[in-house]
This record gives sequence, C-alpha cells and structure tokens, in this order.
Amino acid sequence: MSASTVSVIVFFSALMIVVSFVIGVWSSRKAKTAQAYFGGTAMFGPVAVGLSSMAGIASAFALVGVPGIIYATGNPMTFWMLSGAAFAMSYIILGKKVRAMAEIAPISSLGDICDVRFNNNRIIKALMSVIICLGCVGYLAAQIAAGSALIAHLLGWEPIVAGLVVFGLLTIYTAVSGEVGGLLTQAFQGFVMVIAGVFMIYAFFKVTGGFGNVMQAVGSIPEITGANGVTKKLGPDLLNAWGTFPGKISLTWMLIPILGCLGQPQVLVRMYALKDPRDLPKAGLVTAITHTIVGFLAVVVAYGALYLVATGKIPPLEKADMAIYAFADYVGIEAQLLVYAAVLAAAMSSASLFLTSSSTLLSKDLSSALGFNIPKEKQVSVSRIFMFVLGGASIVISIYSTQMVALLGTFGWGTLVSATFPVFVIGLLWERANEAGVMCGITASFVLNILSLTSFVWPGGLPAYFNISAISIAITVVVSLITPRQEISANLKRVIDL
Amino acid sequence: MNLSKLKTVIVVFIAALWLACMYLGWQNDFIPAMCLGVALMLLHMILGAAKNGVISKKLLVYPFGLWALLWIVSFICSKYYSDLFAGVMPSFTILGFHPSFAFTIWFYWIGGMFTLSLGFHLYKDEWLSEKDWKDFVNQVQKEAK
Repeated sequence: MSASTVSVIVFFSALMIVVSFVIGVWSSRKAKTAQAYFGGTAMFGPVAVGLSSMAGIASAFALVGVPGIIYATGNPMTFWMLSGAAFAMSYIILGKKVRAMAEIAPISSLGDICDVRFNNNRIIKALMSVIICLGCVGYLAAQIAAGSALIAHLLGWEPIVAGLVVFGLLTIYTAVSGEVGGLLTQAFQGFVMVIAGVFMIYAFFKVTGGFGNVMQAVGSIPEITGANGVTKKLGPDLLNAWGTFPGKISLTWMLIPILGCLGQPQVLVRMYALKDPRDLPKAGLVTAITHTIVGFLAVVVAYGALYLVATGKIPPLEKADMAIYAFADYVGIEAQLLVYAAVLAAAMSSASLFLTSSSTLLSKDLSSALGFNIPKEKQVSVSRIFMFVLGGASIVISIYSTQMVALLGTFGWGTLVSATFPVFVIGLLWERANEAGVMCGITASFVLNILSLTSFVWPGGLPAYFNISAISIAITVVVSLITPRQEISANLKRVIDL
Repeated sequence: MNLSKLKTVIVVFIAALWLACMYLGWQNDFIPAMCLGVALMLLHMILGAAKNGVISKKLLVYPFGLWALLWIVSFICSKYYSDLFAGVMPSFTILGFHPSFAFTIWFYWIGGMFTLSLGFHLYKDEWLSEKDWKDFVNQVQKEAK
C-alpha cells in the first residue's frame, strides 16, 4: 500500500474517531441522572435505537471474521450474518415487556429488571452478572485486539500505542457520557458501516459482474495453487447452503444467532432506551435494513475474494481473515478507506457497548448482589472509575495476552444466551417461572460454562453454548414446575400479560 | 385465540424443543432440527405477542405463519438441491446463486426479514395498541397512588 493511500485511510479513520469523541463528550450533557447514564432509559427514538443496536451487534468479527469464515468454508456462516429477521423477532417476543418494566420501577440495568422480577434474589443477580460480564469482557477484549492491530498495521505503531490512543479516547468519552453517549456514537458508527456496505456491494457487482460469475469461477475448478505456494480448495459444493461444515453447524449458526439475538445485552438494554414502546416496530425496520446492508457487505467481500482467487487475479490468501482487506485492496482507495473505517467503527461501537455493559454490571449489579450498596448519588462516579480501570486493563490484556483474549473470546454470543434466557426470556414470558427454577437454571449455566473451559468434551459435536443454553432453559422450566408457585405483584403480572 | 390456560404447556414445549434440537444436532439430523427450531421461535413469538393471554389470529397468519412457512421451505429446498448437485456444478442457478444457497438468500434472509419486520410494523396494534399502552400506564400509576 502506498504512503499516500495510507495517509488518506488514516485521515478518514481519525476523522471518524474525532467525530465519535465529539458526539460522546457533547452528549454527556444529557446524562444527568443515574437512569440516563446507565440505561439511557426512555430517551431515544427508533432511528438512534435501531442504528445503535445494529452497530452493537455487528462487531469487528462480523466484518473481518465472518468474510474469512465464508471464504474458508462456504455459506454456513451466512445463516448467522444474514439474520436481519432476528431484530423484529426479539422485539415481538420481549420488547414491550422489557420497556414496560421501566414503567413499574426505575430501570437502568439488566440487574434492575432481575431484581424486580425475582424479588431482589442476590444469587440469581450475582450469577447472571458474572456470566454476562464474562461474555462482555470477552467481546470487549476481542474488539480492542482487532481495532489496535488494524491501526498498528496502518501506521507502523506498536499495538499497545494504537490501543491506548483509539480505545483510550473511547474509554474517556464512554466514561464521561455513559449509555447516552454510547448509544449516540454507536448510531454514528453504524451509519459509517452502512455507507461502507453500500459502496462495497456496488463494487462487488462492478468487479465480478454478479453472483453467477462467482459461481462459474469458483464451481468450475476443484482447487487453485498460487505463486505464494498456498492452495485454496474450491468447487461447486463450497457455494451450496451448507459449505464444507457438517449440517449441525448450520443448525447452530441459524438457531443461536436468530433466537439468541434476544439474549444479547446490546439488544435488551436498547429496548428500554426507547421513548415510546410502539416505536419498536420502526426500530426493528431500521435495524433490519441496516443490518441487511452490513450483513450483505460481509457476504459480498468474501464472494469477491473467492472470485479474485478463482480467476487468478490475486493469489490464494494465506490467512482467511484477510478476505475483506484483499478485496478492498483490489477495488482501490475508495474501498480501502471505507472498509478500514467501517472495521474500526464496528470495533469501536461494540467495544463502547460492552464497556458500559460490563462496568454497569460490575459496579452496580454485582456489587449490590454481593451486599455492597453504593449510595445512588455516588453510583455514576463509581461506575466511571470502573470504566477507566476496566478500559485500561482490557487494552493491556488484549494486546499482551493473546491466550487470555482467545479464552475470553469463547465467552461470546452463546454464553450470553445461556445467561439471559432463564432470567429474562422465561422470566418475562411465564409468570410461573420462580426463583428456585431460575436459580437452578442460571447455576447450571454458570457451572457448565466454566466446565467448558476445561478439557471436558461435549458429546455430539455441537458448540458448548448450544448444549448449555438448552440444558439451562430446560432446568429452569422443570424446577419452576415442581417447586411451589410464587406470587408476583399486580404490576409485574400486568407486564407479563401486556 | 385464548392461550391463558396453555401458557405452561407452551413453555414446557419450548424446553422440550430446545432439548430435541440439541439431540437432533448431535445426530446431525439438522433439517428436522432446523424445522423444530422454527417451531421454537414461533412459540416464543406467540407468547411474546399475546395480550392478556390472547393472540391475534391476524398476527398468527401474517407475519408469523408466512414467516415459518418460508423458513421451513427454505431449509428443505436447500437440502434437496445440495443433495441433487452434490459434487457437481449445478445445471442452473437462481439469479446467479447455487440453487441450494438461493433459498437461503431469498426465503431465509430477504423473505424472512421483510415478512417479520414489515408484518410487525403493519400489525403493530395487534401487538401493542396505543390504548393497551395507555391502559397499562394508567393502571401502574393508579397502583402507585
């Protein structure tokens, strides 16, 4: 890449970071109360909520890892990435109930909902906070590692310096403005990703001439070896629906992301950030359309890279994760500056969301579950301190301990599903769900998640999180049924019946 | 349709369906498992959309019913065409896609996304009308007094 190209990309990326910083600092004026700071509760319209939800979900993994997996193994990952239906589904299932909880009690965190639903049960809240926090910190570390590596590669800096500059600024504006600034900056970053998506989809059709040409090029040769000595397996089966993985992987990558979208903190917390719950269908449309563009971006760059390799225009990739960059480099400078900015935007939007979520969980929910009650007027200051410490520690750990990042990375999407379904999904859909049931379900989730970090091998070859989600949900339901029914308040019943 | 007395049965079905999907996944019987996965999602949506235990028949038919149909057809056709053209170049494409993957694109992705998102928007009153919300807020405020 030429020096002038790098300068343009760096300028564009820096501009995006500066605009994010300005939005974050500006919006701190709106974060006046604890409820606004922690939850942005009932403050936003459907466009901001829709865009920020999409940006929170579409992490750096979606833009870099997903094209890499599609390039390497074919289409099973598209079940995950083309999941635009998931948002409307999530809002239909829980949207009005989560938003209604904010009417019957002051809600600013997931722990608050847990308290109202399960009579301030400290064990449920503590276990839920720990599991969600593990998932959030895992995501956070992965975003920092990806974003820092990108900037370090562009500028020739040490990754720690790149991490401290980019994510240090992010930590500052997030700590100052809380969830209010987080939501607005994520909406802006989501917009950057959409612009990049539109351009790259156009570029894909211009370069390849369409999917028929990709099918022809990839399907007509079994493999290709480049001058770099790398061999890429191709052939028609790579582009059928299931690719090179067994079908059970398509099952997992369909069910867990679609239904599991409902269990992601970045979707749950946005449900109560909306001013009017009747705007949720509109937010669902915004999220679905923008996610469709960004999801399709991930697919077309993978298909584009496959086409370029199959036609000999570029050598087979040494690392599949380079698919998006390889295609952007081939397209030219406009694609490069948009793609690099979009990857950075994806890393920053998810990082800020997981930073606020994990610091709120640690400083507010877990601390109160453990009996440390921080006075209301001090909660925001304590959370800010947590955010600085957590942000700094995550930057250092994610750069220096790749093993730790890999370990935390396993606590991702599926782990969050196994922690949130018993408490929020079963809890808010079924009044018969009781403390005993949810406590057993969430304990099973906690123990099995920890067990999965050992050498224990699950039968059947499904990812651990699939088994853990199924088992913890089943335990929650069975134990709730065989233990005495618990009375719930009239207001809570109204929420469940709404 | 009144589901008040069926709620517990539906939740038990949900738990059973999770376990069934897991077991079928272990056996790599992924098409039946994916179809059961659609049933699992449908039951969640029915519980979530029901108001005072009553689910609107309109919602049940469109978008929920149509969405479920699109997805089940998508999975079955994807499997049919992947088996039909296993190891060989397909004799035709659907708008450029491998016929197996075309069903993922047009039915699972575009069809599923627009059916649910637009249907939800069009029939939002069946999910939560302005009156439902106002009544709810009034009752909560009354209780607070």
